[in-house]
Amino acid sequence: MLGAFVNAFRTPDLRKKLLFVLFIVAIFRLGSQVPAPGVHVANVQECFNSIEDGSIYGLINLFSGGALLQLTIFALGVMPYITASIILQLLVVVIPRLEALKKEGQSGQAKITQYTRYLTLALAVLQATGIVALARTGNLLPNCNRDLLYRDSWQTAALMVITMTAGTAIIMWFGELITEKGIGNGMSILIFTQVVATFPASLWAVQQSEGPWVFGSVILIGLIVMAAVVFIEQAQRRIPVQYARRMVGRKMFGGSSTYVPLKVNQAGIIPVIFASSLLYLPTMAVQFNQDSQSQWVQWISTYFVRGDHPLYMIAYFLLIIFFTYFYVAINFNPQEVADNMKKYGGFIPGIRAGKPTEEYLSYVLSRITFPGALYLGLISLIPLVALILVNANQNFPFGGTSILIMVGVALDTVKQIESQLQQRNYEGFLR
Amino acid sequence: MVIFFEVLLVISSMLLILLVLLHKGRGGGMSDMFGGGMSSGLGGSSVAERNLDRITVGIGLVWFACVVGLGLLLQTTA
Repeated sequence: MLGAFVNAFRTPDLRKKLLFVLFIVAIFRLGSQVPAPGVHVANVQECFNSIEDGSIYGLINLFSGGALLQLTIFALGVMPYITASIILQLLVVVIPRLEALKKEGQSGQAKITQYTRYLTLALAVLQATGIVALARTGNLLPNCNRDLLYRDSWQTAALMVITMTAGTAIIMWFGELITEKGIGNGMSILIFTQVVATFPASLWAVQQSEGPWVFGSVILIGLIVMAAVVFIEQAQRRIPVQYARRMVGRKMFGGSSTYVPLKVNQAGIIPVIFASSLLYLPTMAVQFNQDSQSQWVQWISTYFVRGDHPLYMIAYFLLIIFFTYFYVAINFNPQEVADNMKKYGGFIPGIRAGKPTEEYLSYVLSRITFPGALYLGLISLIPLVALILVNANQNFPFGGTSILIMVGVALDTVKQIESQLQQRNYEGFLR
Repeated sequence: MVIFFEVLLVISSMLLILLVLLHKGRGGGMSDMFGGGMSSGLGGSSVAERNLDRITVGIGLVWFACVVGLGLLLQTTA
């Protein structure tokens, strides 16, 4: 294992890539600590330390590595990009023009990416305005009546909004640079960095408040859950495919037998992100109408704000299952796979090509996705259960979303490093 | 002094946003963000793209210097 690391650094090509990623990540973390101009740093720190956990911005703050509540220049983090990607993914299903673009292949995809980038910046302006507005009224860090800004003028606010938007643009560029010149997918590595960055602090918070025994058992449970997540992430069903042998000119092609891998969790962690983003909407709405006494505000704040009410959990769980199926349906198109197989003379042994193959694939897929969806739902309920059991806060260190992100991204990146190593005949990490 | 930095910050922010948008977007959205296939476009970057990188880094440094400078100035004056 360690030898593989040494080998990875001995390969000049790979070393350059790894160092590049580390360099970008370092700048990214540095920027996440620099406060935006106009922020009263001392006051913000004081407030930040005094807030009780379980603030409404749990997930968003997790994705920004704690940068959001400290109003830094990278406060928005990767969240606008994620939201923009989600929105465009959904729009592709709805708007025919985008669907046509997607079918076009590489150039169409590039166009969709470009739209995502524009939308990211638009969203960044929106979110930055929202956050700065909250900071001005003092609702960002409740229970703290110090001024978060030096001067309460619209110029300062506008300056902060522009700076944060530029910060988001830089983050987007960093992500693309890592994808292009580094290793792994840039955006997910940046998310990974932010999730891991908050990790020691929140673990330590558990130790501080609950004592060493709970701390130890939390770590133990976390490791077990991690192993289980790795196990399920790797699990896949291999549907055998036999390719017919054919002659093109004087060469023989095909005749090989391969398989179509269907992963148990084909959707990755996207359903979890979708579901939690959606469940934050009502909380957000309440936040802006805090003073009103109307019925719906009361109803939402009793059931949906704290996140430990059974109704909330059930809604979360059901949403995750729904989105898992939804995302798999978007991502894996049995008809397309079946058509491609037919085109190149492949078939699944015992099943006719064409329509029956398509039906068989979707049958297997929907059955294998069911445990996958349940697994995603259960894993993401862990922090909510922990919230009740050990009285931990919402950013519980081994929270479902953070574990899924960490394991998912780490596995992906290690696999990519490994494939690079194997090009040079070195032994990889995974045996 | 503060005004100067503020104006410079606004200008460099605008330029940065523009420059980043001029780059060709790589990596397509969510699907290959979390456990998608390998989609490394082995195109290699063109000369224009490399020059764009250099300009972006330059403006980025100016931007960062402005942010830090403004932060320090505000801390001492207020």
